[in-house]
Amino acid sequence: MTNLVLLFISTVLINNLVLVNFLGICPFLGVSGKLESAFGMGAAVTFVMTLATTLSWLIYHLVLDKFDILFLQYVVFILVIASLVQIVEMFVRKFSPALYQALGIYLPLITTNCAILGAALFMVSKNYGFLESVIFGFSGGVGFSLVLMIMAGIREELKFADIPKAFQGAALTLITAGLLALIFVGFSGLVSA
Amino acid sequence: MIRQIIVSVAALGVGGLLFSVLLSILSKKLKVEDDPKVAKILEVLPGINCGACGFSGCRAYAEAVAKTNDIYNGCLPGGEEVNSVICDIIGVKDLTSRVKKVAVCRCGASSNEKKESTVYNGPLTCKAADLLKAVIDCHYGCLGLGDCVGVCPVQALSIVNKRIIVDQLKCIGCGKCLLACPRNLFELVPFNEKIYSVACNNKQKAVNVKKVCSKGCIGCGICARVEGGPFTVTGNLSYLDYSKINDLKLLDVARQKCPTKCIDISEPSIDLDSNSASLNSKLCLKKQS
Repeated sequence: MTNLVLLFISTVLINNLVLVNFLGICPFLGVSGKLESAFGMGAAVTFVMTLATTLSWLIYHLVLDKFDILFLQYVVFILVIASLVQIVEMFVRKFSPALYQALGIYLPLITTNCAILGAALFMVSKNYGFLESVIFGFSGGVGFSLVLMIMAGIREELKFADIPKAFQGAALTLITAGLLALIFVGFSGLVSA
Repeated sequence: MIRQIIVSVAALGVGGLLFSVLLSILSKKLKVEDDPKVAKILEVLPGINCGACGFSGCRAYAEAVAKTNDIYNGCLPGGEEVNSVICDIIGVKDLTSRVKKVAVCRCGASSNEKKESTVYNGPLTCKAADLLKAVIDCHYGCLGLGDCVGVCPVQALSIVNKRIIVDQLKCIGCGKCLLACPRNLFELVPFNEKIYSVACNNKQKAVNVKKVCSKGCIGCGICARVEGGPFTVTGNLSYLDYSKINDLKLLDVARQKCPTKCIDISEPSIDLDSNSASLNSKLCLKKQS
């Protein structure tokens, strides 16, 4: 049990997918303009990432491992993620139109989010068990949402700041991202392995 | 080696096939029926998302119409033409006809007519200037800084000599300028071949009006005394009741008699046919979008 809690904390803070592994930078910079949309994107990614790692674990261990075709994992995982996103989108659209409106274009965008594929591949390379994989996927998504919302909060405040012309726009966003990444590296002493 | 190729091709093929079958089954089962009426209504709506109907945009309005089958005459810019097509689409026969309305500005004074005794260096928006009662001495008149010009979705407003000119042919009557003006100078009036309006909003007594503007309404009541005319004077200011207009000649009589010449007239079109006027405005809309 403590194992799983530690895994959760370390995935969210220490091995954060965005700021430590530098995956999913595209939505991190693209959807962090407003706190509201950042939350929507974070929720959608968390949902899909949990499902994707779970399903990927099953396929990896029950199919790929058995037939000795582990080199196909990249292709298969992409297939799984893409189909999963489509299925999730259809379900959400049918049963919760309000949520579908709220998630908007973010749901199909997740198909090409490398953080999801990254999470599935990490899960394989770290030899996680089934339960660990589920927790890993979920906490990866939580870490992604956390960082995305921190960034969105900062950028919302920055809109009202008096910024020198050379730093305006993308420049300051990238600098902010860099400083955030430095801060998250500082978490690395939190849990000693 | 050969075995590996066969297995991997088979595995991927079967996997892909499974997912595609699953997806196609689910897409049939979970299909959300889009109301075909929505698409049809969207096609005839102007598509400028002005919000005059009270919904967030043309799409939201189209969905609401298709759902309720009721609010079919909500599109102001489209006018009667669009709304009658919408009626056909949702199968409603009874069309409560809706007159095309356009905006008029209740201040007709140019820069040499309204007095300016202060120097204003603040933000160049009417909202800010209105707080300070700056720019012009009249506390009711047009500040001429163009908040309304900025919000107009069809560029029907312009400022000439610090006076607002409404291009009634372009105007779609969405009412955005009514909300933008801090002094509530705009009014929506029925479109006509000749549009008369009282171009003053100053509710003070004649002495005070004279002090700040040479074109202001002094509330003398001459226009109200025209027999059978639609003018009334309440609180030192003349008002035109558009529902009581029967004879345009009476309006012109009142206009000629007005001592300060503050009753405005505009003749928006060479085409006097109101149908072609709404067609014109529709062409404008098409160009816009």
